[in-house]
Amino acid sequence: MVTTPAQQPAPAGAAPGQRAAPAPPAPGGQPPAGPPGLPGTQATPAPHRRTPATVPARLRFLLITLVSAAAGFGVVGAWTVIQHASAARDVVSTSEPLSLTAQRMYQDLSDADVTVTTSFLIGPTVRPAARERYAADIARAAADLTRLESAATTSGNPRLVRSLAAMAAGLPVYTGYLSQAQTQFLLGYRLTAGSTMQVASERMHLTLLPAARASYAEENAALTAASARATGLPWIVVVLLLAIALGFVLYRAQRWLSGRTHRVFNLGLLAASVALAVSVLWLLIAFAVARTDLQRAVEHGSGSAETLAQATIDTQQARGYEVLNLISRSGNDTFVKDFQAIRAKLGPGPGTLLATAAAASTGAGARWATAAAHDVQDWYKVIDRAYALDDKAQYTDETALVIGPGAGGSTAGFARVEADLSRATNADHAVFHASAIAGRDAYAGLDVVIIAAAVLMAAGCAWGLSRRLAEYR
Amino acid sequence: MALRSRLPLAAAVVLPLALAAGCSGGTGNAAIPLAPAAASPGGAIPAGPAPGPQALSETGSTLLHPLLRSWAAAYQQQHANVSFTLGATGSGKGIAEASAGRVDIGASDAFLSSGDLITNPAMLNIPLAVSAQQVNYNVPGLRRATHLRLNGKVLAEMYQGAITSWNDPRIAALNPGVRLPHTRVVPLHRAESSGDTFLFTSYLSTQDTAWDRVRGYGTTVAWPSVPGARAETGNSGMVAGCVATPGCVAYVGIAYLGQAADGGLGHAALRNALGAYEAPTANTITAAVNSLVSATPVNETISMVDGPAEKGYPIVNYEYAIVSARQRSAAKARTIKAFLHWVITEGNAPHYLDQVRFQPLPDPIVSLSDAQIAKIG
Repeated sequence: MVTTPAQQPAPAGAAPGQRAAPAPPAPGGQPPAGPPGLPGTQATPAPHRRTPATVPARLRFLLITLVSAAAGFGVVGAWTVIQHASAARDVVSTSEPLSLTAQRMYQDLSDADVTVTTSFLIGPTVRPAARERYAADIARAAADLTRLESAATTSGNPRLVRSLAAMAAGLPVYTGYLSQAQTQFLLGYRLTAGSTMQVASERMHLTLLPAARASYAEENAALTAASARATGLPWIVVVLLLAIALGFVLYRAQRWLSGRTHRVFNLGLLAASVALAVSVLWLLIAFAVARTDLQRAVEHGSGSAETLAQATIDTQQARGYEVLNLISRSGNDTFVKDFQAIRAKLGPGPGTLLATAAAASTGAGARWATAAAHDVQDWYKVIDRAYALDDKAQYTDETALVIGPGAGGSTAGFARVEADLSRATNADHAVFHASAIAGRDAYAGLDVVIIAAAVLMAAGCAWGLSRRLAEYR
Repeated sequence: MALRSRLPLAAAVVLPLALAAGCSGGTGNAAIPLAPAAASPGGAIPAGPAPGPQALSETGSTLLHPLLRSWAAAYQQQHANVSFTLGATGSGKGIAEASAGRVDIGASDAFLSSGDLITNPAMLNIPLAVSAQQVNYNVPGLRRATHLRLNGKVLAEMYQGAITSWNDPRIAALNPGVRLPHTRVVPLHRAESSGDTFLFTSYLSTQDTAWDRVRGYGTTVAWPSVPGARAETGNSGMVAGCVATPGCVAYVGIAYLGQAADGGLGHAALRNALGAYEAPTANTITAAVNSLVSATPVNETISMVDGPAEKGYPIVNYEYAIVSARQRSAAKARTIKAFLHWVITEGNAPHYLDQVRFQPLPDPIVSLSDAQIAKIG
């Protein structure tokens, strides 16, 4: 036990940790020496004070202050944690699935278009696998659109609603044109079918894909916003300032009581201090873990997956251009120019999509993104050869190179790049999902801890100070 | 009949597509904006050009150039404040110049490709009139009124050197009762990249799978090496070359039919998709276009080669104006809109079109064109 020169023998029945009972009130109602104002200040009465506060009054004031502060800490802390935890849950259960849905819809539409145009080029007898792939793409995109529309009604985001409405209006028109093209093709009106196919593809490129991209951007922005809410600093700082203020008051109160009562500890206030320390430590650790995980989810999961999604779509568009060029045979070089623009954007090379994706990804995602950057260069060489054949009007050789089954053909090259990107995207999605869940789980139970700590603090302060007050009755 | 035998397959392929379309909450075919459903926005097209001096520039199709000159002259008589600068530079140039904003109107025998539209989504292709392509020949001894029957397969064999003489049994089989001379077949083709080559090789590709597999279609193709075959520049070069070459066969824009006839050239009745042989007349060209009116999409991008008309001539096409929907000024937009609307209405009168043997746009196509013209702003 710590002793001080002022220590007095403890009376029988004194609780452990108490040094001694407080001195009884002086005759005549004179209060014992104590703080003139805030607890813990030196007990020198101010010369001009008209009505010096009594110790019981000061104790009552302290009790009310500490209980109120504990309650305030509990309310603000719990509210802050609930908000952060809710945002973290929103990331995992709402924003992430919607963002992935919008991304998948975007990719499915692009894939549907390149699949169906390639099938068209192969001939009227569409390969079952291609037909099924196209049908699955469209069915999935339609289902995703319905899901996004349903969620958008409560989002209050007019841009998202507009983009989805444009898609809902455009998708049946696109599939309608394709049906028309297929019918014309099968009836033998091949050139008319080709032009209708072109109209369908233009509808895809000029209406549906931009709307899908805008929808994805909005959903991704919502995801980033939810993540930012879950890792936001301002309210956490407020809670910490409250905790520091509360801790300071508890410390000074205990110092004052220690000096006033000659006891080293007031158990109630000590318990409150411990509860405060534990809850703040828990809060800090949980917040740090959640922030690290959620930021990792956005930076190495969502962000790189978005870049990879764009790379995938650009790859599909490059494939679409070489196929449409074969159908169109317009004799101009606009498809080549469009392809070159995509190539410059896709990479590899500094600042390109593939380089950015490889840098942003981690582990398997980075490896597959790097593999895509390697394979895409082999594919470019095939496309360059195809366009060179087009310049020489060697359409048979060009067609064989573009849609033929050989390992050295464009179909195989495109498939390799697409597979690399798909694996990289899946790996990044896994990183994102695992990190987001870890971030969400870091907040698990923290609100209960904060509330329990606040209750314990209030109860401890009330109990500890009530006992001191009781000594004055 | 081949058509009937293909129908079950068509249904088998189209059904999943239509079902997939239905998944998105609409019915695919019902949503296709076909020509009859489209209407002119009404009031969006000005009655006349903007006030004050207005200058319109045009370049492109050589086939359309003479008609554009007639249109420009007539329009200038009605609206003296509008002046024109016209150029005959070829369809490709017309598309490129209009896309780059260097001319107000590009004239083209072909619609814009997807590549053009992806690069310049604001560009419109607006049909101005209906054209066709004739297959001319210089076969000595034939009566002037005789139109030899030819189909895509026989023409492909002539252009590949498999048929070397006009009295070949494969030509004779198509033309019973016609005395054909033993004259060597001399195929002529365009030397430069050309919309006419695109139309002609498209016809060959649809009618002859061997040609399609080996040569295909395009504004240029890898022409087979055939003894005597020649490359000529422009439609007038093709006509002149054919006139000068007994045994020639050539593809030429319909506007040159009179010039070809004056040079003693005959023109063929071509086999259409349904097996009928039709010469390029007003009726057969109009029938071919009418059969595809309901299938014309709102942006009027459509190939009509070897279409489904029973009495239709198989090589027909629209002549297009290539225009940007976003003009530099309201006055320019108003003047372009007024002029193009005048072209597809008053300008489609026989007085203008008969000079070049073009046919007027069907009414639903006029509505679609007006709807596109209304987008210019």
